[in-house]
Amino acid sequence: MNVKLFLASVFFLVFSGLTYAQQTKTISGTVTDGNQVPLPGAEVKVIDKSIFSVTDFDGNFTLEGVESGDVFRVTFLGFSPQEMEVGSSNEYSVVLQEDAGQLDEVVVVGYGTQKKRDLTGSIVSVDAEEIEKTPTSNAMQSLQGKVPGVQIVSAGSPGNSPTVRIRGLGTYNTDSGDSNVLYVVDGAFYDNIDFLNTKDIKSINVLKDASSSAIYGVRAANGVVIIETKSGKINQKPQFEYDGYTGVQVANNVVKMANAEQFVTMVQESGSEAEQQYILNAMQRYGRSRVNPNVPDVNTDWYNEIMRPGIIQSHSIGVSGGGEQVAYSMGVNYFDQEGILDMKNEYERFNIRSKMDVDISDRFRGGVNAVFSNATKYNPENAAWFKAYFAVPIMPVIDSLNTNATPVRYSNAQNLGYRGIQNPFTDLNYNNDREKIRKLLTNVYFEGDLIEDKLTFKTSYSHNYSAFENRYVNLPFTLGNNFERISSIERQQNNFSNQYWDNTLTYNDEFGDHDLTVLAGHSYRDEAANRFRATGENIRGIRFDSSWYLDFADPLSFSDNVREEFDRIYGLSFFGRIAYDFKDKYLAYGTVRYERSSKFTKDPWGLFPSVGLGWVVSEESFMENVDFLSFWKLRASYGQLGNDNVVASSGTNTIDNVFADFGDQALNGFTSTSVFTDNTWERVVEYNFGTDINMFDDRLNVTADYYIRDTEDAIMPITIPVINVVLQQNAGTIRNQGLELGINWQDNVSEDFSYRIGANLTTINNEVTEINNEEGFINAGSAEFRQITRIGDPIQAFFGYEVEGVYQNQAEVDADPFAANQPEANLMPGDLIYKDQNGDGFINADDRVILGSFLPDFTFGGNIGLNYKAFDFSMSFYGQVGNKILNRKRGEIIFTQDTNMDADLAINRWHGEGTSNTYPSSAGLRKLWNQQLSEFWVEDGDFFRIQNIQVGYTIKSDDLPQTRVYFTAERPFTFFDYNGFDPEVNDGVDRQTYPVPSIYTVGINVKI
Amino acid sequence: MKNLIIKSIYCCLCAVLLLGASACSDKFDTREGQLSSSAIDYTDPSQMIGALIGAYNVVGTRGWEEPLLLSVRGDDVNAGGLGDQQPFADTDQYVYNKDYWMYNSLWNGHYSDIIDLNTAILQIENFMEFMEGEDLERAQQYIAEIKVLRGWLHLNITRTYEDVYIYRTNEPATEIEENGISSKEEVLQFISDEMDEAIPNLPDQRPNERTDLPGGVTMYTAYALKAIANLELENYQAVADATGEIISSGKFSLYPDYYQLFKKPGELSDESLFEIQYSDFGNSTGDSFYHLYAPFGPQGWEPVRENASGGWGFFEPSMKFIKFMIERDDETRLVTSVNFTNRGIQALEDDGVDVPSYVSNTTPSGDVLNDYARAFFSSGKQYLPSVQLTEGRNNYSAGKNYIVMRYAEVLLMYAEAVVRGANGTGMTADQAVNTVRNRAGLGNLSGVTIDDVMDEKFAELAMEWGIRYYDMIRLDNYDELSYDGRSFSAADEYLPYPQAQVDALPLGD
Repeated sequence: MNVKLFLASVFFLVFSGLTYAQQTKTISGTVTDGNQVPLPGAEVKVIDKSIFSVTDFDGNFTLEGVESGDVFRVTFLGFSPQEMEVGSSNEYSVVLQEDAGQLDEVVVVGYGTQKKRDLTGSIVSVDAEEIEKTPTSNAMQSLQGKVPGVQIVSAGSPGNSPTVRIRGLGTYNTDSGDSNVLYVVDGAFYDNIDFLNTKDIKSINVLKDASSSAIYGVRAANGVVIIETKSGKINQKPQFEYDGYTGVQVANNVVKMANAEQFVTMVQESGSEAEQQYILNAMQRYGRSRVNPNVPDVNTDWYNEIMRPGIIQSHSIGVSGGGEQVAYSMGVNYFDQEGILDMKNEYERFNIRSKMDVDISDRFRGGVNAVFSNATKYNPENAAWFKAYFAVPIMPVIDSLNTNATPVRYSNAQNLGYRGIQNPFTDLNYNNDREKIRKLLTNVYFEGDLIEDKLTFKTSYSHNYSAFENRYVNLPFTLGNNFERISSIERQQNNFSNQYWDNTLTYNDEFGDHDLTVLAGHSYRDEAANRFRATGENIRGIRFDSSWYLDFADPLSFSDNVREEFDRIYGLSFFGRIAYDFKDKYLAYGTVRYERSSKFTKDPWGLFPSVGLGWVVSEESFMENVDFLSFWKLRASYGQLGNDNVVASSGTNTIDNVFADFGDQALNGFTSTSVFTDNTWERVVEYNFGTDINMFDDRLNVTADYYIRDTEDAIMPITIPVINVVLQQNAGTIRNQGLELGINWQDNVSEDFSYRIGANLTTINNEVTEINNEEGFINAGSAEFRQITRIGDPIQAFFGYEVEGVYQNQAEVDADPFAANQPEANLMPGDLIYKDQNGDGFINADDRVILGSFLPDFTFGGNIGLNYKAFDFSMSFYGQVGNKILNRKRGEIIFTQDTNMDADLAINRWHGEGTSNTYPSSAGLRKLWNQQLSEFWVEDGDFFRIQNIQVGYTIKSDDLPQTRVYFTAERPFTFFDYNGFDPEVNDGVDRQTYPVPSIYTVGINVKI
Repeated sequence: MKNLIIKSIYCCLCAVLLLGASACSDKFDTREGQLSSSAIDYTDPSQMIGALIGAYNVVGTRGWEEPLLLSVRGDDVNAGGLGDQQPFADTDQYVYNKDYWMYNSLWNGHYSDIIDLNTAILQIENFMEFMEGEDLERAQQYIAEIKVLRGWLHLNITRTYEDVYIYRTNEPATEIEENGISSKEEVLQFISDEMDEAIPNLPDQRPNERTDLPGGVTMYTAYALKAIANLELENYQAVADATGEIISSGKFSLYPDYYQLFKKPGELSDESLFEIQYSDFGNSTGDSFYHLYAPFGPQGWEPVRENASGGWGFFEPSMKFIKFMIERDDETRLVTSVNFTNRGIQALEDDGVDVPSYVSNTTPSGDVLNDYARAFFSSGKQYLPSVQLTEGRNNYSAGKNYIVMRYAEVLLMYAEAVVRGANGTGMTADQAVNTVRNRAGLGNLSGVTIDDVMDEKFAELAMEWGIRYYDMIRLDNYDELSYDGRSFSAADEYLPYPQAQVDALPLGD
């Protein structure tokens, strides 16, 4: 199809002969802003002619070959364009006025740009200034609380990326990358932008509704984020910029654990003889406390032991500018962040970036862009967060009596009689998990005007190459009690080579009151992944990191420990876009994408159309007299998207190589699957209704959107009965709907003082509307901590008993029919009272209800900014309401009941009539009845957080380059009730979540 | 001139585009990095054994909970592991919870394996289309072997849940629709009939005589399974006939050392009719094919071999069994079946038992058990002495084989059938029982009664796959199961269907 278009354009070209002008002259002029400051790089163009110039450093331009009566137009980003007619004079001075509102602001859309006022979909832009305020390795973190409809869940460990959800959760598999947003960085596709330096980003554009993102077809179902990196401008003086900050990160809201005395009290009340024996063992081993002789003379606060403050720093140097034909931008960045877990846990990244755009001739442009990111990440041993919760406080970190422990005499809870080792320090000090991440983004493009100002052809090729080099070292150690670990090294080499080739043809025309843009394009993608993994054991010289290579491993250990996987998928697509407006009043927009993905074995071709309509009410004559309303637009859109960011379906039975033992000989054989997947696209169908209102001279701006977004044919894990294989199949529909509201007020009170206030609100209603399997529901989580996906409820909602209170005395127990009906439950005072939902007198599986979802009901955010003379101040906040967290750390007592617990539970337990109506007794905690999943284990995750505070001072002096110093407090205060570190738990199950630290930095920015 | 350049640029671009579009179209249809089952060369007879080895692998990958759950309700063994896996301990007390993961996991583990075995049969049938002569016979033998493996899995399932499904194909949905659920009698009859069908195709050898797959299934494995199925059916003549075939073949004999029978030296002995084989192939690193024996092990111990790991304490021989054995003075089998802790010995003494001096917290191989909170005793038949571990391998009982059917059980089934009135071929019941007793160092009995035989089974086969429990429920001997505070009734014989299966399959309630 697009081939035809090309032929047509070639044809067109041949017949579009050039005509030559007759009587001409040369004019010159200067372009300045309202303050007489010259504007370099402004474009000056004679309308309807191919005469074009760009102002130089001093704002000067010359135009050759113009005639009297010609009109030339001067444009400069951020300023209103101005037109002038060529008269008798040869000298012109043009004064451009700054744009009043942001409505003429150009927004990046798929494969092009559009004026913000012409948008019919829901697109939010965040500019560099906002992004840079957050000290982070991943720019998406800075969007938290800023963009309605976008939920960001922070990641605590250095170098890890936050979870980004645009408009709820539209795909079932939340942890496998299927729910990843598509990032389009300068035209290339990514599922992560951790390789970009925050300072290099010019803008982040979030395409929220299906109509806006449909042109990205199969990868757009979870939302699209378009990122532009900074570039230079033609005829711009080189500008040098240094930006650096350094600071410290500390854990906040650390969970207070039960101390030795509280722990011993709990154990004594538990009635468990075995556990009481362990306390005696501890007293025998470590002595009795002098304060309370019934408590061992040890009181370890494990969280305090495993944490440390961490350093963060970032330094960026950049230069951008341009000559007459070439614009350039380049820079380097060094970013370094330590984790707050006291082990080798840090992230270090070095970035190099260069971008060059060349005007080859009047009609042809080209450019290259390259970003290379070289990072080293030492991953944390997250199990430590979990172990520090349940490790008993009556055990020291180091136990000098544990003489069988080598090389360090770490304590081992087994020596006291406990089942597990518990001590997290073996994880911290005997494991080393290094990941070297190298990512290269390269892009080259070529662009030509086939018909000047009207028809443009662009071809663009991108290759992004990522190499992940993992080395996981297990040092050998012994820990007494016959515990020995032999040394091993696991090496992984995962390479990803993704190539994209895009070709577009854009036609742009204005005639009368009509304004039309038509785009047609073709895209080809090739994404290859190679994963190699090998594990070697018994490493010679393991104590020296110079021998941390597989070469030093026992060669026998490689058998069956070497794996290589390869996959490669291809995509081919054709797409088009039409944007039309009439009198700037009636807007229409449509896109279509037709695409094939090799991931699907059934109906591999998908067609994804979208339409949008807009009505700028404020342009109507009947609105002329409404003065306070400067702009009012109503818009509606509909679109379809595909998602191929899912497991590729196999389309056929597959073979696994296995072996079995026959007389101590391993013989090789194979097994074959009996079922397989045969999938087609997940398809998102979305309706969006929105409005944009500007009032009071554009000082107040309100944007509201309501959407209904269905993911049809959603891929869900369907357990095939009997065969007991889980197949990822097209099996249901997931609906997300919600309201997004953003309100911003800004005012320049005087030259010295300006301020702005913004607030936003997002509601999320996630619901599964269809599941096609025998059961009618899908279980998730474990049997003990059941999560369920049912029709009419959110994805993977917590599923258990509603708690009505705690039995306070025997009379209450006796009065309850369950005690008689279910004698095996052996109910006692201090046990939880469950609600008998069906009223049958029994508490059983039928009485379980949905206890909530890890997705919030609504999130809200806001910001305040003040500028007074050289000072600037900004503050933002963020909160969420309605999400639930499974306190899985507490839940560990189900499996190992002799462990420690948080102080809140230890203090507020039921221990006699009237002591608690929410927490069971210590003995009760050890009973199956109370261990069933109920509201007791599932807590509210609501929180409110001061997200960011920044204070800056800018030095403007003739002697000094422009310098700004600033202080940032990131996430200084968080308020919540949840009994954990951090209410930000990605999937709602808090077992070993890395807590998100507070960060305090000072920084300096110098521009020359 | 300019036009010409532009024109040629575009012509080139168009050409490239066309090329690109056509070159990639066939790439869309290949799936790189995936091995499809159609890639097997079915005309190559040497590849056929791969499907059979795959079937043995499937049967070898048993979940750790399976032998525990199959056995725990017997009066020979308790749950131990108090305070952990409470529903497992409840099961031991005949309190059942259909939501408990172990019930579902046992069901799933067995049925998904049955389907995998059926798929392996289909694979061999694919080969058969191209085979003739010896190769064809070999294919028939392989299928017969897999039918024996699949029969054993069906046996476990029907013993546990009573009325269950039979699957002969890898399309369970169709079979459920066509056949529905089968009664326990139907399942057992199916197993027995399948064995009759398999026997002519199987090698007339002891498993350890096989050279192609040492320890693989033979004709006598099928006879043994047929006997077990018919014992469950109380079809004693068929039991006597099937066991008689094994006895009269003269190929089998008891391994002289009862203790070492369950250790490395006793692997693939002349007593073995079927054992699941595990190994680390004598290497301290690299490939291993293990069963997870840790649940059987003691929690705290001082092994002779440094750094040999202990276990979880989830499988505790019962006081009842130990007292029974001490009363009989059945020393060899007691010290083989039970590993003691001092706390356990104390508990016996507190209970008024005169504990003989051979009972000690040191195993015959020198490993010393410390006291641990979970249990008093640990099971000996799943214990491999630490000195028999491969150097560098620390897992509890790492690489030990798991005996499923052995000649002693065959002899005792034969004796039971004959005492219950079946016609024996050759040997008398006395001879069968005494052969077993003599190996354990006990004297002869004469004129054995049914109680003698059942006592002998208790002593000989305790802690092995729930044989004791299934004997007791077959005989409706609920008094024996009502011990140490438990009370057993007919309603407790079978586990409820797992809730997850009730949700997914037409199992009724």
